[in-house]
Amino acid sequence: MISSDPTVTLTTAWPHPPATLALTAIVLFVYFRRYGWTRRAWWMIAAAVVVVLALMSPLATLAEGYLFSAHMVQHILLVLAAPAFVLMALPEGWRVPHWMERMLHPAACWACGVGAMWIWHAPVLCDAAATSRAVSGVQSVTLLLMGAAFWWQLLAPRESDRIAPLQGVVYLFAACAGCTVLGIILTFAPVTVCRAYVHPVDRLGIMPLIYGTWGMTPARDQQVGGLIMWVPMCLVYLGAIFGQLARWYGEEQIMTYKL
Amino acid sequence: MKDAGEAVIEAVLDPSQREHYQLAWLSTVDHKRIGILYMLTGLVFFIAGGTEALLIRLQLAVPNNHLVGPDTYNMLFTMHGTTMIFLVVMPLLFGLANYFVPLQIGARDMAFPRLNAFSFWLVPFGGILLHFSLLLGEAPTVGWFAYAPLSETPYSSQMGVDYWAVALLVLGIGSVGTAINLLTTVLCLRAPGMTLRRLPLFTWMNFINSFLVLFAIPVLNAGLVMLLIDRRLNTHFFLPAEGGSPVLWQHIFWSFGHPEVYILALPAFGIVSEIIPVFSRKPIFGYEFVAGSTVAIALLSVGVWAHHMFTVGMGRPMDVFFAGSTMLIAIPTGVKLLNWSATLYGGRIKLKTPMLYCIAFLVQFLCGGITGVSHAMVPLDWQTKNSYYLVAHFHYVAVGGILFAILAAVHYWFPKMSGRMLSEKLGRLSFWLMLVGFNGTFLIQHFLGLAGMGRRIYTYPDLPGWGWMNMVSTVSAFFMAAAALVVLWNIVASLLSGPIAGDNPWDAWTLEWATTSPPPEENFERLPPIRSRRPLWDDANPDRPDPVVGPEHDGGVSPGIDKNKCGILTFVISETGFFGALILSFLYYNVQPQSGPSAKDLDLMRTGFFSIFLFASSWTMWRAEKALHRGHSAGMMMWLMLTITLGATFLAGQAVEYGNLMGHGALLDSNLFTATFYTLTGFHGIHVFVGLLAMIIVLALAFAGDFHVPVPPPALAMVAIYWHFVDIVWVLVLTVAYILPRFV
Repeated sequence: MISSDPTVTLTTAWPHPPATLALTAIVLFVYFRRYGWTRRAWWMIAAAVVVVLALMSPLATLAEGYLFSAHMVQHILLVLAAPAFVLMALPEGWRVPHWMERMLHPAACWACGVGAMWIWHAPVLCDAAATSRAVSGVQSVTLLLMGAAFWWQLLAPRESDRIAPLQGVVYLFAACAGCTVLGIILTFAPVTVCRAYVHPVDRLGIMPLIYGTWGMTPARDQQVGGLIMWVPMCLVYLGAIFGQLARWYGEEQIMTYKL
Repeated sequence: MKDAGEAVIEAVLDPSQREHYQLAWLSTVDHKRIGILYMLTGLVFFIAGGTEALLIRLQLAVPNNHLVGPDTYNMLFTMHGTTMIFLVVMPLLFGLANYFVPLQIGARDMAFPRLNAFSFWLVPFGGILLHFSLLLGEAPTVGWFAYAPLSETPYSSQMGVDYWAVALLVLGIGSVGTAINLLTTVLCLRAPGMTLRRLPLFTWMNFINSFLVLFAIPVLNAGLVMLLIDRRLNTHFFLPAEGGSPVLWQHIFWSFGHPEVYILALPAFGIVSEIIPVFSRKPIFGYEFVAGSTVAIALLSVGVWAHHMFTVGMGRPMDVFFAGSTMLIAIPTGVKLLNWSATLYGGRIKLKTPMLYCIAFLVQFLCGGITGVSHAMVPLDWQTKNSYYLVAHFHYVAVGGILFAILAAVHYWFPKMSGRMLSEKLGRLSFWLMLVGFNGTFLIQHFLGLAGMGRRIYTYPDLPGWGWMNMVSTVSAFFMAAAALVVLWNIVASLLSGPIAGDNPWDAWTLEWATTSPPPEENFERLPPIRSRRPLWDDANPDRPDPVVGPEHDGGVSPGIDKNKCGILTFVISETGFFGALILSFLYYNVQPQSGPSAKDLDLMRTGFFSIFLFASSWTMWRAEKALHRGHSAGMMMWLMLTITLGATFLAGQAVEYGNLMGHGALLDSNLFTATFYTLTGFHGIHVFVGLLAMIIVLALAFAGDFHVPVPPPALAMVAIYWHFVDIVWVLVLTVAYILPRFV
C-alpha cells in the first residue's frame, strides 16, 4: 500500500522475505530447543533483532537500490554485530567440528572479515546485490558466515579457541586498517562504485524524501557510505581492542572471558 | 656459542675501543650519551626557535610595526614552527626516551646502537640543511604545513621550500629509525621479569608512540617526495591549474600532522605518569586505564586528521564524521587527566620543581584540550580557524602541555644523568617565571583571536584592545625567555658544584633509580627482582610489596623474539605507510583517465612477463634460506645468485618499459598519470635495487666464509623479509597500475 506521505511509506515498509523469516525462526527455534532460556539467550535475541533490522526493516528497503549508505549500515550489522552476538550466545565450551577447527586459522579468519568488505564492494558484485534479490540473499549469508569466522578468533565460546590478547590487538588493528583503506577509497573516489544507487527505481515513491528532504545526492551518498565503513566500523574494532586489553590485563584473575 | 651480532655489539660498546680517538662523544653508540646529544641538539635549536619566537612577538608588540618586513616575518613563523616541532620537541623527547627506556626495562643499551647513532646524527644534519636556507636568505615562507600551491615553484620560486622538504625527509628517516629501535628494545631486551604488563608508563607510552611514528612519518615522506618532484622535476601533483590537487597535499600532510601532535604528546603523558606518583608517594591510580587510554589515543589519532580541514569545503558528511571522531579523543585524554588527578588525591604531595611543572601541565593541558574540543565543532572552527584563538590553543598543548612536561622531566631526571642535584631555589624561580610568562603570552591570545586577529599577519592596525593585548603577550614572552635562561643557569651551576645526588634522590620506584647516577657504561651491576610495576618499592619494603602483576610463571625470561627480525619487520611496516600513500595517490589521480598517456597505454603482457622473474626470485630466496638452514652454504650462495639474477632481470624489464614509454613521449612531467606512474614504480624500482645491493653484500660475505659457521649471521633472513615485502608491494602496484585500469 503506497501512502501519499513518503515518510509514512518508508517507516511502514518492512519487507518480509519468507526465506529470511523462516531461516531466522528456525535458528531461534533450534537454539532455544537445544539450550533453553539462559542469560546468554539475550545475546541470541539481540542477534535476531539485528538481523531483523538489517534485512526486514525500512533500512533494508533503503538498502535495496535506494541508498548506498543504508546498504553500508546493513553490511556492518551483518558482518560485525549479528555474528558476534550469536557467538556470545553460545554456551561455554561449545565447539565446532574437528575438520572446521583446522580451517579456522587466524589468517583465514582475518581474511574473511576484511574480505567480506572488499569483495562485496567490487562494482560488479555491489550492483548485482543492490538489484537482485537472489544475489542479495547470497550476500547476506556470506556476510554472516564471514563475520562469524572473523569473530571466532576473539569470541569463540572456548577460551582455548581464541587467540592471545595481544595478538588480538594486532588482528583487530590490521582489520581496522584494511577497512580504513577501503573506506578512504570509497569516500574520495571521484567515480561511482555502485551504479545501481545512482538512478534508483523509485518503487515506493520515497525519492522526494531522500533527495529532497534529506538533501542526499548520489555523490554524497557514496561519501557517507565510505565514511561509515571508515569511522564507525573502526570504532567497533577499537572497542574490541579494549576488550582484548582488558582481557590481557585481567588475564590471571579472570581465566574465562565473559561479556 | 654467542651469535655473531651480540659479539659485535660488545666490541662496539667497549669504550676502550674508541677512547683513543679522543672523540668519544662523536663516535659514541652508548644510548645514554646519544640521549644527551639529542637533548643538547634540541637545546641548540631551542635557542634558534626561541629567538625566532621573540622576534615574532617583538614585531607584533605594537600596531603598524615595521621592525621586520612581511617576507622576513613569514620566514620567522615558518622556521619557528618547523624548528620547534622537528628540531626541539622531537629531539628532546627522543633523547629522554633514548636515555631512560633502556634503563627502565633493565637493558644494557638500545637494540641497535649504531642505528641509534645514525638516527641521532640525522637530526643535526637535517637541522643544518633547514637552516642553510636561512644563510642563503631564502628561508621557507610557507608555514610549517607548506600548503600547496603556495609551496609550489610558481608561487615560491626560491630554494627555501626545497631545503625545508629535504630537511624534513632527513629528519623523518631518523625518526623512523628511532621508532624501530625503541620498539625492538622494548619488545626484545627487557630484563627477566619485566613483562609488558609491568612496564613503567613512560616506557609503555614511548612503545605505543613508536607505532605512531612508524605509521605517520612515512606518509609525510611520501608527500614530501611528491612535493619535491613537483618542484624540481616540473610535475604537478599539487598544482590545480594542471589538474593536480592541493587538497590531496592537505590530506597527506594532516594524516601525518595530526598523529604528530600525539607523537609529541604521548611521551609527555609518559613523563607526567612517572613523576606524579613519585611526588604523591602513591602508585599511579588505574595503571591499566592510563596504559589502555594511550592505545585509544594512538588509534583514534590516525583517523581524525580531516578536522584540520573543515574550512576547506570537504562537504557536510566529512565534517560530521570527523567532528564526531575528533570529540571521541576527549574520552581517553579525559580518562588520563582523571587518573592523574586521582593519583594526587589523598597523596602526600611533595611540591618539588618537577611536580610543580606537572601540576601546571595538568591545568594547562586541560585548557588546551578543551579549546581543542571547541575546534572539533565545525561551525565554531569556521569562525576561529587561522585566528589567534587557534594559535593559543596549540601553544597550550605544545608549550603548556608538552614543554612543561619536558621541563618536569629535565628536573626529575637530571640528577640521574649528571649525578648532581639541581638547585630547588632556581628550579622554583624558573617554574614561576615560566608559568607567568607562558600564561601571559598565550591566555590573552584566545581573546585576540576571538576579537578577530588572524594568524600569520605580520602587523595589524590599531584596533581597540589589540595593542595592549599584544603588548602583554610580548612582554610575557620575555618572561619565558628569562625562565629558559634560569633553567640553563641552574644546569650549568649544578654541573659545576651541585650537591651529589646519590642513586635515588626522589625515592622513586622504577629501575633507572636502581643504578648509580650517572649509570655506568653497562647500566646495571645487578637488578632487583621484578614482580610488580614498582620493583624498587618491593625491594625496599619486602614486608609489604605491591601485588604481583600478571602470571608469575612468565616472569622469568626475556621474551624470545629475535631482535633483528623485529627490527626488519617494523621497518617493513613503516614502508607500508610510504607505499600506501603513493598507491592511494596513484588511484586518486588515475580513476578518471587523463588526457595524454594513461594506464591503458601500458604493456601488461611484457610487464607481466618480467614480473614472473620478480615473483620467482621470492621463491629462490626462500630456497636460499632453506639451504642455509640445512647448513649448505654453497647451495645458499647458488640460490642467492639466482635470486640476484632474477631481480636484475626484472629491473632490466622495467628499464625497457621506461625506455619505451619515454620513446613515445610519455615523460615524467607529461601529465598526472606519468607523474604518479613513474613515482610509484620508480620508488619500487629503487627498493628492488637496494634489495639487490643488500643481497650482493650478503653474497660477498658468504664468499668470505661468514656463513660457513655453525650459527650463521642473521643477515640472509633479514634481507629475505625485505625482499618478500618488495615483491608483495609489486603485486599491489601491478594490480593497481596495470590490471585495474583495464576494467574501469
